[in-house]
Amino acid sequence: MTVRSSPCNDDNLYVLLEGDEDSDLFRRAASHVDSCPDCQRRLTELSAEADYWVAQRDMLHPVEGDPPGSGTLSRYRSPECAMLRPTAVDESTVQAMLSAPSHPEMLGRIGRYEIERIIGSGGMGIVLKGFDSELNRPVAIKLLAPHLARVGAARQRFAREARAAAAVVHEHVVPIHNVESEQASPFLVMQFIPGESLQARVEREGPLSVREILRIGLQSASGLAAAHAQGLVHRDVKPGNILLEKGVERAYLTDFGLARASDDASLTHTGVVAGTPHYMSPEQADGRPLDHRSDLFSLGAVLYFMATGHPPFRADRPMAVLKRICHDGHRPACQCNAEVPEALSAIIDRLLEKDPNRRLATAGDLQQALAQVLSDVQRGKLGRPRRSVRFTRSIWIGASAAAVIVLVAIALIARPWFTNSRNDGDSAGTTAGTTDGGLTDARADDAQSAFDELMAVDPSPTAQAAEELEALSGSVESLETYPYPFPESNTKEPNYEAQ
Amino acid sequence: MAGRKDGRPDHDPLMTQTVPQPPETRETLISRLPNAADVEAWDAFVGIYEPLLFRLARGRGMQQADAEDFVQEVLAAVIKSIDRWVADDDRGPFRAWLFRIASNLAVNFLTRPRHQRLGSGDSQIARLLEQQPARKTDSAELFLKEYRRELFRWAAECVRNQVSEPQWMVFWLTSVEQRPIAEVAREYGMSVGSVYIARSRVTKRIRDMIRQHEEQTQ
Repeated sequence: MTVRSSPCNDDNLYVLLEGDEDSDLFRRAASHVDSCPDCQRRLTELSAEADYWVAQRDMLHPVEGDPPGSGTLSRYRSPECAMLRPTAVDESTVQAMLSAPSHPEMLGRIGRYEIERIIGSGGMGIVLKGFDSELNRPVAIKLLAPHLARVGAARQRFAREARAAAAVVHEHVVPIHNVESEQASPFLVMQFIPGESLQARVEREGPLSVREILRIGLQSASGLAAAHAQGLVHRDVKPGNILLEKGVERAYLTDFGLARASDDASLTHTGVVAGTPHYMSPEQADGRPLDHRSDLFSLGAVLYFMATGHPPFRADRPMAVLKRICHDGHRPACQCNAEVPEALSAIIDRLLEKDPNRRLATAGDLQQALAQVLSDVQRGKLGRPRRSVRFTRSIWIGASAAAVIVLVAIALIARPWFTNSRNDGDSAGTTAGTTDGGLTDARADDAQSAFDELMAVDPSPTAQAAEELEALSGSVESLETYPYPFPESNTKEPNYEAQ
Repeated sequence: MAGRKDGRPDHDPLMTQTVPQPPETRETLISRLPNAADVEAWDAFVGIYEPLLFRLARGRGMQQADAEDFVQEVLAAVIKSIDRWVADDDRGPFRAWLFRIASNLAVNFLTRPRHQRLGSGDSQIARLLEQQPARKTDSAELFLKEYRRELFRWAAECVRNQVSEPQWMVFWLTSVEQRPIAEVAREYGMSVGSVYIARSRVTKRIRDMIRQHEEQTQ
């Protein structure tokens, strides 16, 4: 039996001031305040003394330079800091940078492009969905943010981004169609990719299945390898910069916002460095010189994000995140999510090494390592991926892989018998003659086929499965054909020494 | 690629503009600051002082671009002097130190003759940073007023990012613009009680932020 206290008490009002708005306690207190003028008055008193309310009114009163309209403050931030804190962009800001639209339902026009809507905004620019009226196709337009358009360094960086990004032509890098850098508002025109960013996907669905992680990881690594082969460091690899095309299983790397040619006399040493803190490498966070291995760290953080649903280093302030990146270890992904195979977790660990020398050396190496895990997963060695969309197919592939393993095992067991009894080595002996190396090669070969399958875009699933099966069974016969894990022609490993 | 020129930097109109570069970035500070509270203090410092210095500089007749350079140079000079603070065994709390030297600098800046141009060399900024300013002058008062305003605006901006847009708007309309609560409630389709709650919650958060900051800089 509880004595019901009066609803008019300060404890209830403190719940309203500081408590959780979704709690029952809050809701009950709120409904009382609706009809109780005394509590309304008291609530105001408890939040702050009367003098404070007056001071607050005076201090927040708009000053010269504040935009018209209620509730907005304009506070100067240097480009460097503004880039670290992307601010929301509204339609009127964008419209101010465009000419009047040809159609009333459009937002505006820039050059020959009709602008339909704002897709998003990042550190340096605003991304718009547009339509190329000459070539009759949808495009994505990246416009340099208005507060940066007048800053020389930002314009330089934007122009550099355009040059750098346009130089990389690869199936997993968003193509650049056009660059307009002489306008008051410089912009670049890219292929429009219908779909969502990896950031949005993970926010919506939580951690991805192992198969998805490997697919997106492999494709991103290949796009990165292409950029690295051009001597470019992306510098801003993050989930928001990986686009997932709707309907086809294809990931694209985009926004070489901070990319620069390695041989370029850069802005880096002089200071204007920006990036998303969570995916920055320690050398980047520390302002030290960096190379392609910085991107590998960032991609490791992206893999971690896909595997666990959150970045490896978290803190409530950007600066604190950077500090953790430099000084703290991360919790292994397989400890955060039991579905993550240890082998994948180990690859992520190799990428998240603080010392670049201890990381996997190239994006090509990363591709190989991921392909190996993929093949092991498909062979059922590492357990079944969680929530796999292609659950039945995985089983099918797993089963066929198992069949091949049995065949190889039989051959192995049979070998001593064959060698002991007879030495003709024509039939079974050929297969078994290179047993140890042969097994490794078979694994590598499966890895290759799994890798090829993932890099291929949207083939019909059944045909693909048939190919996989063929590749798997074919691997036994072709042991001697591929003495090295990957055929030369299929590796996309850049040669850094040659750059 | 259409639209791009020959791609050579010296032919690019974008490359002809130059801006002075600060010698270090915010990020490089991370590894040197002793603890997380210091990192937070630095964020607060930049959040309050960038707009403050910019407005003071503009108020002293500086052009937009010059005011921007001034802000960068001050930040660079402060970053430089952080090493001295770190090395000092007797150092007080970072936040208090940081805001003290910055206010010295700002007051000294306001005390300078208006026509005297600030060179681009950072030695002049360093001098502003090191001089002990005279208290109780007009400059000191002007600074205090503007600092206080920026403190409120900084806290308000932080809180704005933590609350929903309708909550923020009803707070603003009823407290800053002093419109009748019943009218705003109708306009936003909220109950009168909800408007009271929203404006009080927002106000309390802003006040708490300011109070906490002031306690730490005393």
